[in-house]
Amino acid sequence: MRTKIPLVVCLAFGVIMFAQYFSNHTIARAVYNNILEWWQIIFAFTLFVGVAAFIKNNLKSISLGKKDTPYKIVSLIGLALMPLLAIIGGTRIGSPFLWSFENMLAPMQATVFSLLAFFVASASFRGFRARTVSATILLLTALIVLIGRIPLAEMISESLPKTTFWIQSYPSMAARRAILIGIGLGSMTTALRVILGIERTYLRGE
Amino acid sequence: MAVSAAASDGNVETGSWLNIDTLPTLIFSLISLLIVLYAIWSVKSGRKFTIREIPGLKAVDEAVGRATEMGSSILYTPGWGGDIQRPTTIASMNILSSVATRTAEYDCRLIYPTHDPVIMAVAQEVVKESSIKAGHPERYRADDIFYISSSQFGYAAAVDGIISREKPASIFLLGTFEAESLILAETGNSIGSIQIAGTDSTIQLAFFIVACDYTLIGEELFAASGYLSGNESILSSVKAQDIIKILISLFIIVAMIWATIDPSSTWWVF
Amino acid sequence: MDRLRTRWIIFSGLAIVVIVSYLITIKFKTAPSPATLKAYKYLDTLPEKSVVIFSFDHEASSLPEIQPIALAMLRHAFKNDLKIVGLSLFAEGTAIGYDLLSKTAREYDRQYGSDYIFLGFKPQYISAILGMGESIKRVFPEDYLGNMTDTMPIMLGIDSYDNIEMVVSIADGDRTVQWVEYAGARYNQKVMAGLTAAMITSYDPYLSSEQLYAVVGGLRGAAEYENLLDKRGGGSRGMLAQSAAHLYILALVIVGNIIYFRNRRRRGGE
Repeated sequence: MRTKIPLVVCLAFGVIMFAQYFSNHTIARAVYNNILEWWQIIFAFTLFVGVAAFIKNNLKSISLGKKDTPYKIVSLIGLALMPLLAIIGGTRIGSPFLWSFENMLAPMQATVFSLLAFFVASASFRGFRARTVSATILLLTALIVLIGRIPLAEMISESLPKTTFWIQSYPSMAARRAILIGIGLGSMTTALRVILGIERTYLRGE
Repeated sequence: MAVSAAASDGNVETGSWLNIDTLPTLIFSLISLLIVLYAIWSVKSGRKFTIREIPGLKAVDEAVGRATEMGSSILYTPGWGGDIQRPTTIASMNILSSVATRTAEYDCRLIYPTHDPVIMAVAQEVVKESSIKAGHPERYRADDIFYISSSQFGYAAAVDGIISREKPASIFLLGTFEAESLILAETGNSIGSIQIAGTDSTIQLAFFIVACDYTLIGEELFAASGYLSGNESILSSVKAQDIIKILISLFIIVAMIWATIDPSSTWWVF
Repeated sequence: MDRLRTRWIIFSGLAIVVIVSYLITIKFKTAPSPATLKAYKYLDTLPEKSVVIFSFDHEASSLPEIQPIALAMLRHAFKNDLKIVGLSLFAEGTAIGYDLLSKTAREYDRQYGSDYIFLGFKPQYISAILGMGESIKRVFPEDYLGNMTDTMPIMLGIDSYDNIEMVVSIADGDRTVQWVEYAGARYNQKVMAGLTAAMITSYDPYLSSEQLYAVVGGLRGAAEYENLLDKRGGGSRGMLAQSAAHLYILALVIVGNIIYFRNRRRRGGE
């Protein structure tokens, strides 16, 4: 029973959502709109699960005195502080909550994102080596695109930006489309397996 | 509810049960479904399907073995970009099941940080069942499967911190990744971990190919559950995928030739 | 240790190059790409009072790159007296989006409620996008400031995508894909995007098949748009730093290959 009911529910809703896509009848639309609303409600409740698990895990780590305890303490303070600021001062322009978001969270997020630039540099240094013929072609293509994307390219040669555009629009896109088709088909068959009950890993790892 | 509103106003159009504009999509979907069902039926009739060797999946044993020999841990994360309803996340769970069974057998620590509480709950169940299947339920550690943050770079920073402090010997980056992919992969590379990655994003695939030891490209990630488990029904659906791809390729070739001969024709546009 | 030292050198070099670039002022004239030009021309030729949705589907992390794009397009829309409906399908994009929208509106003396409105954030983006195809007011019964949307003058006559000329998705991830696949495919809503540079190539297939109308991509796209608008902003200011960083990476790749071939020759000699 414990696995049969979820499988039946999965099959029923899978078929309904599949079928409604091909219909614009009022009843189909109504069913669909209701499912969307329920989806939003369920999502809201899952956040409680996350927060509860987060607090439990961090408190346990702190009580055990593990090596990353300071980070856990900071995390819990952040978790408690932001809602407190929102409750006390609201979330509108000029509130302490929004000030914290704009002056602490946003810069921290941007800082971590900016690490990407540094890691791209080190990955390029390590990755673009002319080991084989295909690696050399990749290397030369990368160099053309690197130069072609900056304003300097137009000053060097008019054909550089055009070549970059051609590389992005044709060979690169052809490869990307092929991979996308494969991924699309893989997603479709995985979804079909889940709906038909063949794939049950999400149910207790079967 | 929209139905009541429609019923009370007699002038509202009820619409048709079948939207003709979606007919080509419906036909393609039904053909694909029939091919999948045919493949499953073929297997039940005794036909055997095999799929080619996938280096990234073949390396799973090597990765787990390495972590065990070094007395280190394994880090497995499904990325920030997806939630449980995404097929990529389901595919990742399949590989997790396999990895978790092996780590339970070898008593190797498996750390699973995630950005989504539902994925965390499902992963806990998957790893728990895998431990039971391996015959070592006592080796299941629920605390090692945890929710970090729904924020992309909060998640990335936390996972980076875990990688830097725990120094796992093997890292699995399997799921839907976005900009955090290279941050995680490069950090793993900097500590010398063996990394196996796979994602449905073509952009992040490029980063993984440069920074990781093994990358599952395209539908290799989705073939994982059949490949690792050897389950015939799942293998058959992977074969069905190949058949559908061949049909799409033939369609593209025919349309391409037709468009070249008659540029004004548009029968393939839908 | 050697690996770590190499990384330190690479990272320090990049930091110095970018910092020095921002201290120098050089103006570049950036010729617009076809996609940016298409986006500009569309907004430029829309009749006054046409309604455009701006969806701030991005996180705070990509603000330095995304903000110049958003500002340029918002300025263009307000300058041409278009009506703007702002919303966000990302929690973090909400406050940022409202801030950008209201600051830009003040530059052009536009009134909240009659010239523009900000509807706020809706979780479960797919259901929000699909729901707006039926009724925008049902998905957003209140706006960000707590006003009932059906009482706001700008929302009179706006029921669904039928009344919207264009959706502009300002994104740093795959939210734009959802706009294209759900609003575009199902409701034939025109969608264009302002994206981070890393995401541009993943949208090329949608652009070439015209499922996505146009794209303004990265800092360069922002610079191109600012040139067309003849109003210098963050995009134009960042062009020197971006160019310097690209050239630095180019130099790194060349140096890396020189070291590689030198080591290979040495090993061959031994």
